[in-house]
Amino acid sequence: MSQYRLLPSAVLTTVVACSGVVVCAAQPTHEQLRIVAPAAPGGGWDQTARVMQQALQQAGIARTVPVENVPGAAGTIGLARFIGAERGRGDTLMVSGLIMLGGIVTHRSPVTLHDVTPIARLTGEYEVVVVPPSSRFASLRDLLDALRANPTSVSWGGGSAGGSDHILAGLITDAAGVSAARVNYIAFSGGGESLAAIVGGQVDVGINGYAELSAQIQAGTVQALGISSAERLPGLDVPTLREQGLDLVFENWRSVVAPPGISPADRDRLTRAIDAMVHSQSWREAISRYRWIDRYLPGEAFASFTDAEERRIRAILGKLGTNQDTVTLATAGLYPMFVLAGLAVTGIAALIAGLRRRQPSTSAARRWRSAALVGAAVVLNLVLAERVGFIVGSAVLFWLTARAFEERYPLRDALIGCTTAVAAYVLFARLLDLSLPAGVLERWF
Amino acid sequence: MIETLRALAAGLASALTVPHLSWALVGVTLGTAVGILPGIGPALTVAVLLPATFSLDPVSAFIMFGAIYYGAMYGGSTTSILLNTPGETGSIVTAIDGYAMARQGRAAAALATAAIGSFVAGTLATVALTLFAPPLSALALRFGPADYFALTILAFTSVAVLLGSSVLRGLFSLFAGLALGLVGIDQLTGTARFAFGLPQLLDGIDVIILVIGLFAVGETMYQAWTHGRGDVEPVTIGGGRMTREDWQRSWKPWLRGAAIGFPLGILPCGGAEVPTFLSYLAEKRLSDHPDRFGQGAIEGVAGPEAANNAAAAGVLVPLLTLGLPSSATAAVMLTAFQQYGLQPGPLLFSSRPDLVWTLIASLYIGNVMLLVLNLPLAGVWARLLLVPRRLLFGGILVLSSLGAYSLNRSMLDLGLLYAIGVIGCAMRIYNVPLVPAVLGLVLGPLAEQQFRRAVAISNGDVSVFFTRPISAVLLIVAALILAAPLVNRLRGTPA
Repeated sequence: MSQYRLLPSAVLTTVVACSGVVVCAAQPTHEQLRIVAPAAPGGGWDQTARVMQQALQQAGIARTVPVENVPGAAGTIGLARFIGAERGRGDTLMVSGLIMLGGIVTHRSPVTLHDVTPIARLTGEYEVVVVPPSSRFASLRDLLDALRANPTSVSWGGGSAGGSDHILAGLITDAAGVSAARVNYIAFSGGGESLAAIVGGQVDVGINGYAELSAQIQAGTVQALGISSAERLPGLDVPTLREQGLDLVFENWRSVVAPPGISPADRDRLTRAIDAMVHSQSWREAISRYRWIDRYLPGEAFASFTDAEERRIRAILGKLGTNQDTVTLATAGLYPMFVLAGLAVTGIAALIAGLRRRQPSTSAARRWRSAALVGAAVVLNLVLAERVGFIVGSAVLFWLTARAFEERYPLRDALIGCTTAVAAYVLFARLLDLSLPAGVLERWF
Repeated sequence: MIETLRALAAGLASALTVPHLSWALVGVTLGTAVGILPGIGPALTVAVLLPATFSLDPVSAFIMFGAIYYGAMYGGSTTSILLNTPGETGSIVTAIDGYAMARQGRAAAALATAAIGSFVAGTLATVALTLFAPPLSALALRFGPADYFALTILAFTSVAVLLGSSVLRGLFSLFAGLALGLVGIDQLTGTARFAFGLPQLLDGIDVIILVIGLFAVGETMYQAWTHGRGDVEPVTIGGGRMTREDWQRSWKPWLRGAAIGFPLGILPCGGAEVPTFLSYLAEKRLSDHPDRFGQGAIEGVAGPEAANNAAAAGVLVPLLTLGLPSSATAAVMLTAFQQYGLQPGPLLFSSRPDLVWTLIASLYIGNVMLLVLNLPLAGVWARLLLVPRRLLFGGILVLSSLGAYSLNRSMLDLGLLYAIGVIGCAMRIYNVPLVPAVLGLVLGPLAEQQFRRAVAISNGDVSVFFTRPISAVLLIVAALILAAPLVNRLRGTPA
């Protein structure tokens, strides 16, 4: 399996005689270590997973480290799947962190970080409060004064509701002695959108991670009012929130966890692997490259840290959410009602107007036979894909679909179906490096 | 200006070296391939390649990433035109008239106008990127939630030309898409709606699942249903070239597509779909023969295909000048910049001019390569239609299933794909147009979120939509577009 895993790099290096992708692994302790990134490519968790992948491989800790993205809902979709599908697997890790705690609370997730095996906290990232250069707030004091006078007159822009930016907005308001329930927080999707709204001055105040904002601060497109660290950062002329009278330190930490139900031996092996990884050179380089803070904290200490953070986040999100902004609530219910009413009205009207069917050229019996074959094909694929593997599922899918069109060549079609299934599997799973369940054929692929 | 040209010349000199050219070639080939595969987009491809490119120098890596991005926009149209099965969302509109052309034996001409249009628009947009990137991005930042809401309303007006034969059925399709868009977490409050307790539905229904389900799977099922073992439609490949008339009818849509796509790509909000919808709207409204649209009008292929490539170039403007990613691919490219310790942002142009200008120069070269690669291939691709239908559709179903599953590794997505496929098949049988549903799913959530953001920022004051100049102008244009056919009808002239 290992030689196929390296195919993307192998293809690149052979297509152009320009080598340099050398993966040396003397005697890796892990043949394979899978990492689940519970986010789409491009975000902080995906970055963390890919840096881990690189560090684990280059330091010779694991021979192959496939990264799987399971995006959505602040990582809670990935968490639910991780707990359900990976239980007991001692070769799998998932990136997690503060934002996942926020997501668990906000989305009322049935599973929590108590349901996984904690391994270690890895990194942290400070958050910065910024305003556009032309802002009416010249300092944090101006902002706090305005908040105390009329909390809803200040619009805050940041990432998703219940995420780190939202939490910090709540903590600041709370620390200033203002009811967090009256924070006028505008959630934007993803870094780009909220950054554009902040830089463009669409919101009064912006909150984002220091790494995302540092280039903007440097260029003067935004003005930083405060940073959430305990002490000032070297080389950055931005006062902390604490020195400006707000008793609060905050960082968006990221961590790594293992599935529930793994053996103590597996847990030790994984902990040792991560310990070796955080001391490797490529990990240290990555930390400074991405402007992360080293917050390595393994084992039980990490578990109790998570518990403390969970209490803190539940408390502040409770305050933020107890009395959702009335404007947001008023507009939240109208639109779905409009859409569902429109769907019902147009649907019924179209039915009354009469449905004209296209006249098919084949007889009813033949049509239903074809439909039954395609139906059987997709149902069988759904049943077989994860249990027996995608190759078998795809071959069956191909063969039955082909037979829905033409029944004269069962054997030839079966052969072509198998070839197509294998080719498609190799293309997706090996060349594009997307993990698909290989099932019973795992040994050969 | 002179300085810009000098910098570009230096970039060209650096891009025209053998290793850089080779990386561009690898990129455009890979990009074309992932554009054709359903569900696999440039964002995922770049993310997968990131670790492998770590030891390359950043310039080579970015040349390849840029080429993948442009290539994917070219590749997307191929399956759309030939098989009515768009591989990504930017070429849905292309399928309407492109597939009609293919059925008339004009597949090669449709592929050619798509390729040349992509080249023309891609190159023009890259020129605009070269010359005006900083002022344009400053302008884009002036767009607030109220203005984005007005923009989505303008985009919604394009549904008027996508309704098909019956207004009622078209609107039903639109509302079905809007209803699908309700599923998932409400962005502004973080609460789940219509998720039915399924965690996989929390993030909503992926537009790619809807597109592959309605088009690729739906088409397969419909073909099996109608042509099962019945008489097979004769397929002709026809001439491989565009006629003089094709050229005459294509060049204006190319330019208009570029003009529509580029600015919409810059705005950090929509994807590649919105410009294609608006381009189709423009072409049909400006045409002397609007009745030809849907029956294989070459303008309906030329315009949208130009628009999606111009939009791809537009996306690079905020990325390079401000460090703002406005699409999934741009977000991954931002990660790539950070991997090399570069800080994309307002200072990138001055801190690493060599990188930026070589990347821009390689975009010109990539465009030429894509044209050279795709134009001769148009005839070859068209021969795909000679493959027996049973094998063709069997293959489509296998690739669609793998693509849909690998999006989120969710069997629920796969089940959803097939369910949507059945709906797509039924919609074909009952003559309900498919595109309005996609439009609804793409635009519905955007419109709702931006509306509520704008109202929250203004503390409940709804008049912002008319007091902000950009928003007011966009809403007036939208009203005019909707009113124009009515006015024409009152005057007694055909709409």
